[in-house]
Amino acid sequence: MEILVYIEVKEGELVQGSLEALAAAKELGNATALVAGDADAAAKAAVYGAPVVCAKVDAANPDAILGAVEAVCKAKNADAVFFAGTQWGKDLAPRLASRAKTGCITDVTGMEKDGDAILYTRPAFGGTVIEKMKNHGALQVCTIRSGSYSKPEAGAPASIEECDPGEADIRVKVLEAAKEITEAVNLEGADIIVSGGRGMGSKEDFQLVVELAKVLGATVGASRPAIEDGWISRAHQVGQSGKIVAPKLYIACGISGAMQHISGAIGSKYIVAINKDPDASIFSVADLGLVGDAKQIIPLLIEEIKKRK
Amino acid sequence: MEILIFVKQVPDDGIEVHLDPAAGTPDTAKIDKIANAFDTYALELAARYVEANGGNVTVAAIGPDGTDSMLKNLIAVGAKKAYLFKDPSFEQGDEASTANRLAQLVKKCEAENGAPYDLILCGKESTDEISGQVGARLAEELSLPFVSSVIEITPDGDKLIAKQETDEGYIKFETAMPAVYTIAKPGYDPRYPNIKAKMAARKAVIPTFSAADAGVSEAPCYVECVSYTEPPKREAGLKIQEKEVADTVAKAMEILIKDKVL
Repeated sequence: MEILVYIEVKEGELVQGSLEALAAAKELGNATALVAGDADAAAKAAVYGAPVVCAKVDAANPDAILGAVEAVCKAKNADAVFFAGTQWGKDLAPRLASRAKTGCITDVTGMEKDGDAILYTRPAFGGTVIEKMKNHGALQVCTIRSGSYSKPEAGAPASIEECDPGEADIRVKVLEAAKEITEAVNLEGADIIVSGGRGMGSKEDFQLVVELAKVLGATVGASRPAIEDGWISRAHQVGQSGKIVAPKLYIACGISGAMQHISGAIGSKYIVAINKDPDASIFSVADLGLVGDAKQIIPLLIEEIKKRK
Repeated sequence: MEILIFVKQVPDDGIEVHLDPAAGTPDTAKIDKIANAFDTYALELAARYVEANGGNVTVAAIGPDGTDSMLKNLIAVGAKKAYLFKDPSFEQGDEASTANRLAQLVKKCEAENGAPYDLILCGKESTDEISGQVGARLAEELSLPFVSSVIEITPDGDKLIAKQETDEGYIKFETAMPAVYTIAKPGYDPRYPNIKAKMAARKAVIPTFSAADAGVSEAPCYVECVSYTEPPKREAGLKIQEKEVADTVAKAMEILIKDKVL
């Protein structure tokens, strides 16, 4: 099985999710990495052992990238194209599938071979239901959910081939790309995460979550309501529509435990939940639950932890 | 500007969906059906756009009985017209089928509306399947410009500027019209209906069309769901609830230290 993997590049660095997709491809068949535009990035991709195709296109324009993936897919006679489960990956994969008249599976957490076919595993309904899917189209297209595979081992660099994919059908013009969130929030790599939700009540009281995180040397997380109410930037979001995390310790403060959120944190080793509703669903997945108002509990917790330091 | 929004009816995402033990499929029968949250954001964004710049908003949905009341609710919060497409054949298929049908339905909506649409919107994903494919595939079916996760649209002559939310900030795209955009959560909430709008919406008649009425031919389908399972359950641990908060914290600290978590 010939598998093409589109490797996303952000500020010169390869996106972790793309490397996970490359690992998935190497497990299943012969992987080829496709990098758009950037020769330095192509060299970085080559160390993961799969031959690299570097397509000379405007990597800032999604239509140009889609054209390149489509052209290389045809030229290499690929059986499958994998994308990272990032915003760009999730945009490009269904568009490619539509052009190739095939299906697309998004948010894939696992794959196995079933004869010549691939059997995909993906969560639905916020993670309470797991689906096993098959794509009966000729070309297999999917996006890999972040955190589902570990990145491949680096080794002796593979070959790099430059390619001019020809004219793409450009329908959008990029006017401006702006960075508003400059803080680096490493939720995926964190050992401890302290997350806050709607139960924190206000932007001011959400600061308690930040303080507790500081005392523990932890990364701050948040559920969707806290993000949507503007208490903290969306770079901190944990859950189905945010980051999938797996820290040693996850402390959920004032989070009721919607599946949307829980599915993003369920891989944590130890979960502590603080919530005033004793029936909150977060308690059903917590190793330790504290029933009470997070706004009262957190200051005391901070005090106790400081005492023991 | 004429804006068309495709809306999906989904089970209330505040309620957990589990499998029906007998059928082995997701059991959503008893869960209230609501308009997909991202589609309601699309409607609010579109309503604000036409209030500022002129135009009309149409909402359309594929769905079973009951979908018409969802559409009536949307008429109360900014949609001017609504069309429902109901056919047993519409209940089968994958994202490719849905996008293909929607692309065919645009023509029927335009004929009913009496004017072509300049902009077609969908929510960035539905809260049930969360595959986020339909908007992107619809754009391809129609060979139109596509921008995802849009949170702001501004007119610029005969073009549109779409502000896309990204992980770090935003990207502004310029596209011609018509275009297909998917909408993320803007910095505001959908409006609540006032009494007058509610009364008017209740009286609204939603034109309903079958596949034959709408001239929809058979749609392609590639993806098959082989099986549904539930993920392994995580066991609930200890729950502490003392009269005094301080006692709860003290007890918790003891356990956290015993469990070598802290």
